[in-house]
Amino acid sequence: MRPSLRFLLRWESFLVLLLIAEILIFGAINPRFLRPSSLLYSTSDFVQIGIVALPLTLVIIAGGIDVSFASVVGLCAIVFGVSVHFGLNVPVAMLLAVLAGGLCGLFNAAVILTSRIQPLVVTLGSLYLFSGLAVVLSGSIGAGGYEGIGGFPQFFTDIANMHLLGLPMPLAILLIEAILLGCILQFTRFGRMVYLVGLSEKAALFNGMPLDRVRMWTYVLLGVFAAIAGLILTSYFGSARTDLGTQTLLSAVTAVALGGASVYGGKGTIFGTLIATLLVGYLQQGLQMSGVSSQISGALSGALLLIAVSGRQLAGGVSVLSFLRPTALHASK
Amino acid sequence: MTEEAAGVSVRDVWKGYAGVPVLKGVSLSLERGQIHALLGGNGAGKSTLMRVIAGLAHADRGAVFIRGQELRPASAKKAHMLGLYLVPQEAHVFASLTVYENIVIGVPGSKAALSAKLEGFMREMGVCLDLEEIAGSLEIADRQIVEILRGLIRDASYLILDEPTSALTPRETGALFATMRRLVAGGMGIIFISHKLREVREICDVITVLRDGVIVHSGMLSEISDDGIVAAMIDAVADKARHEVSHAADEVVLELDRLGGEGFHGVSLALRRGEILGIAGVVGAGRTELAETIVGLRPIASGTCRLDGRQIAQPSPKTCADLGLVYLPEDRQSNGLFLEAPISWNVSAAIMHRLPTFFAGAAETKRAETFIRELGIKCRGAEQQVLRLSGGNQQKVLMARCLAAKPQVLILDEPTRGVDVAARADIYNIIFALAAAGTAIIVISSDFDEIEELCDRVAVMAHGHLSGVLEGADVSVKAIAQLAFSAEVSL
Amino acid sequence: MIRFFSKNRTASLLVISAVSFALIGAFAPGFLSFATVRTILINGMIMMTVSLGVMGVLLTRNIDVSVGSTLGLSAAVLGLLLQAEVALPLAMAGALATGLLAGLLNGVLVAVIGVPAIIATLGTLGLYRGLLLILTGGVWIENLPQSLKALASPRFAGFPILIFVVAAIVLLAHLFLSHTRKGRFVYAVGDNRDAARHIGLPVRHIELSVFVFAGLMSAVGGIIFAAQIGFLPGQAGSGIELRVIAACVLGGISLLGGSGTVAGLVVAVFFLTSIDSALIYLRIPGYWNDLIAGAMLLLVLVVDGRLRLLIDKSVRAKRYANHASTDKGQSLIKATPGLTTSGGNQ
Ligand SMILES: Nc1ncnc2c1ncn2[C@@H]1O[C@H](COP(=O)(O)OP(=O)(O)OP(=O)(O)O)[C@@H](O)[C@H]1O
Ligand SMILES: [Mg+2]
Repeated sequence: MRPSLRFLLRWESFLVLLLIAEILIFGAINPRFLRPSSLLYSTSDFVQIGIVALPLTLVIIAGGIDVSFASVVGLCAIVFGVSVHFGLNVPVAMLLAVLAGGLCGLFNAAVILTSRIQPLVVTLGSLYLFSGLAVVLSGSIGAGGYEGIGGFPQFFTDIANMHLLGLPMPLAILLIEAILLGCILQFTRFGRMVYLVGLSEKAALFNGMPLDRVRMWTYVLLGVFAAIAGLILTSYFGSARTDLGTQTLLSAVTAVALGGASVYGGKGTIFGTLIATLLVGYLQQGLQMSGVSSQISGALSGALLLIAVSGRQLAGGVSVLSFLRPTALHASK
Repeated sequence: MTEEAAGVSVRDVWKGYAGVPVLKGVSLSLERGQIHALLGGNGAGKSTLMRVIAGLAHADRGAVFIRGQELRPASAKKAHMLGLYLVPQEAHVFASLTVYENIVIGVPGSKAALSAKLEGFMREMGVCLDLEEIAGSLEIADRQIVEILRGLIRDASYLILDEPTSALTPRETGALFATMRRLVAGGMGIIFISHKLREVREICDVITVLRDGVIVHSGMLSEISDDGIVAAMIDAVADKARHEVSHAADEVVLELDRLGGEGFHGVSLALRRGEILGIAGVVGAGRTELAETIVGLRPIASGTCRLDGRQIAQPSPKTCADLGLVYLPEDRQSNGLFLEAPISWNVSAAIMHRLPTFFAGAAETKRAETFIRELGIKCRGAEQQVLRLSGGNQQKVLMARCLAAKPQVLILDEPTRGVDVAARADIYNIIFALAAAGTAIIVISSDFDEIEELCDRVAVMAHGHLSGVLEGADVSVKAIAQLAFSAEVSL
Repeated sequence: MIRFFSKNRTASLLVISAVSFALIGAFAPGFLSFATVRTILINGMIMMTVSLGVMGVLLTRNIDVSVGSTLGLSAAVLGLLLQAEVALPLAMAGALATGLLAGLLNGVLVAVIGVPAIIATLGTLGLYRGLLLILTGGVWIENLPQSLKALASPRFAGFPILIFVVAAIVLLAHLFLSHTRKGRFVYAVGDNRDAARHIGLPVRHIELSVFVFAGLMSAVGGIIFAAQIGFLPGQAGSGIELRVIAACVLGGISLLGGSGTVAGLVVAVFFLTSIDSALIYLRIPGYWNDLIAGAMLLLVLVVDGRLRLLIDKSVRAKRYANHASTDKGQSLIKATPGLTTSGGNQ
């Protein structure tokens, strides 16, 4: 890794340590947790968080934000379901769903870039719009809210249970995605521009960079991967529901923020988000397997997160995390 | 401790960043009624020392006394209460507050009294600022003036001015000096930092020279010659390449025909290959607006702009980059640099469009290291954040960014702002070499000496118009000043 | 006129709201009435208080996403105290204290320990919601006493008492933020933290106080919630954080800190609430709700955004117009001789 990222890596190595500690502690409480199979397969319950969190990292690094992906997941699942319902063959329907995801991203980008309104509000609007669209679409073929659209061919529902390189399919997809996006971010011109645009819009403009195009692609990427997450979830649960992505919203934002990306743009890495996703995901799984009731586990995971982060902060003596707070950079303490 | 009670005194201050010492045992004292010059090369530690004095940075060792009271722990608030205020090198402006709020924020007193006082200072300095304007839209010189006024209105007994004149034109500088003289006569003590020896000669009594965090000379200004100061500051200044012959070819690369836009009108100019064209004028004359219009950052209102013979209806930064036109903006902090990115990223920023889709970091680092060596950028390596460089070294990174693009036409807006004597000579030599190699260069500068020294031809702007063009032997500071100011009187 | 709009982010939003109101009124007779406005005002009370709290945090260039959970938690404390037959004023004080403590924890994490606000408040979002569930055992709190509900029942011209409390808070916040020195400090910290430190403002204190204020406002929101709804589900207030932040941004409060006014926020809250009410008047089947609400919001955003771009453009044009007028048409410099041949080569 290049030296410029060493500083960030320090934070990421902290996350890795935290992840190891977490797994060991849960293993001590419940040895079943440590079994490779359970470590591998429990990821299927939270992989979708990572699948959207990774491209969300790109959006956030480029200085944007998108909350509508939570609806895009459901919308694309419904698009897939409806297409299959109308007799399209499954691969074409899948392609259509991915296309729909990309279009959602494009739509967000178009509105944000033409109106110059802060992306948070715009995507909040499209969060409603897309979920509304999903509800209307699924209503149009008479599918109810809870059971959703089902009855997919066997081979589609098997996808989520297949293996790739010895890994469960969802996890494999996440890892491939991470490598792909990680390489894009670190080793391509586009990736560099994502950082620069997020670091200083003005300086990027003065250097003749295609600001809008860079931003647009980050939103499109997020849309596409949200669609993929929708398909995986549909395959995993065997039915396409409008609310498939609702749960991913907060968790994905948490993963990105915990992974070291700054909501003010210009900072963050794919690796950090990936580790943070595992951290958050295993925390939920581990608490569940340790027999903690769901009521307490929410409080506990919030508290643990805070204790870990502020513990590290206090142990560092100085504001170790200050790089996440852009304004504190000058602090010459 | 009666000696400390008299003024500000710094005793054996040490300060390092990440284990690298920046100040190595500095002692200094400032008395009231005195203007104390602090000189030193880029990265010598001047700004750091001032931040320590003003309570904005903690010293690792040593102590700061203001009026006999020790500033410990470091606190800006306490320094203010003891009557010390620092006008920093880069103006800190609250972009969404009004100019008035920016200046008086935190100052106790009734609005009427403050306004009256503020207006007094503004009249004295001869500045007209719209106090109700939102400060974010201010040009860099006006920001600097806001910072200076902020310092003045606080009734400080000790004022530190960290390169206050770097963005000002001679006239504002003169007004500032007059104000400083009056304040000092009233018992104020001032520390004045500048890279311009002429200014230091004009206004200061006492001088301290800092070099690599150590004081290498201090005493009365009258007792040391200019050469002595420079010798104390830096190892050697590169010999100035004599720029007697103009390399201007006949071929025109950039041609403006009655170009009009935001803040200027009817500007016709032709720039030839290998020519160094100066654009001089006072702050607000429309020079930066003109440059930003040429590179496509502002809309063209009338007239035409031809680059390389091709007419460009509405240039955009992208087409300019493609055509080899590179602009070095005046405001390095907000427009030029990616402050939080490493030096290497910044050096490559203007050539992003020419890099391959997949690129390796190694080439980039090497490119940056070449420039670090060539321009003598004082840093800890190509991966250091630009934010953590001294002001002058940031300017050099900006220059490196432009050079890396190997431009055909180069527009430099205040290229040597905050740059020390040695680096200034280096930059001049680079500009000459570029011109000799056929690059067409426009230099915009408020420093008329610089214009005189650098340029083959000088266009002087006043109030958005060209008020005249000087060429060859006619180029002189006096002639430039006449053209720059005369138009104002007549209007 | 243009200058007025450019200076008043609020005004353009107000005009757009009025236009969309008129349009809705044209399609849904009976929509344009005092009663509608009253309903919208009453329905917007919770959002108003909570977003006022979040506004302070945003102004300092921080963010608070825990307000929904704080709202729920303080409402639960209120409910539990009332169930334990504690007197109403005391129970309300308990709820407020809960909000205050919740805000204080956020503030300490951010301003003292230095955890980035988004991480800190995402953490407390889970923490407070969990505490609520633990406290209530996951059961809804029902049968809240009449004395509480009375606070939200129509009293003066159909307005409940609570709305006057909210109005007073809004007014005070407005006065504080735009007319006091301390109020301007809040803006300064968010606008440029370095500069604020530089001129000696107590940056950390200010940050701490805005978080405490946000907690307090969420508690007020919780009390209103309990009074209006009459019972407390475990999910009380969840999801409000996003809507509240959106209201702030729509009202012109920058996520980058340092700008925005209370007036803008009031209009934005009114507007967002009115979208919901309009849907009822338009008699649209329920499952179209999200779609229409989203579309309306986006439409308004695009119109508003374009409008502001236009305004900015014309303001700029005006600002530079004086230069053109002083032009005497003459260019003092004639193109250098021998250059007329340019343009020949490509
Ligand atoms: N926050 C920081 N972190 C790390 N290094 C720093 C930081 N601030 C300053 N430095 C280093 O300290 C040295 C001195 O910087 P300083 O700004 O005091 O120089 P200066 O004398 O003011 O130079 P200039 O004339 O260019 O303004 C520089 O080498 C700079 O890289
Ligand atoms: Mg300096």
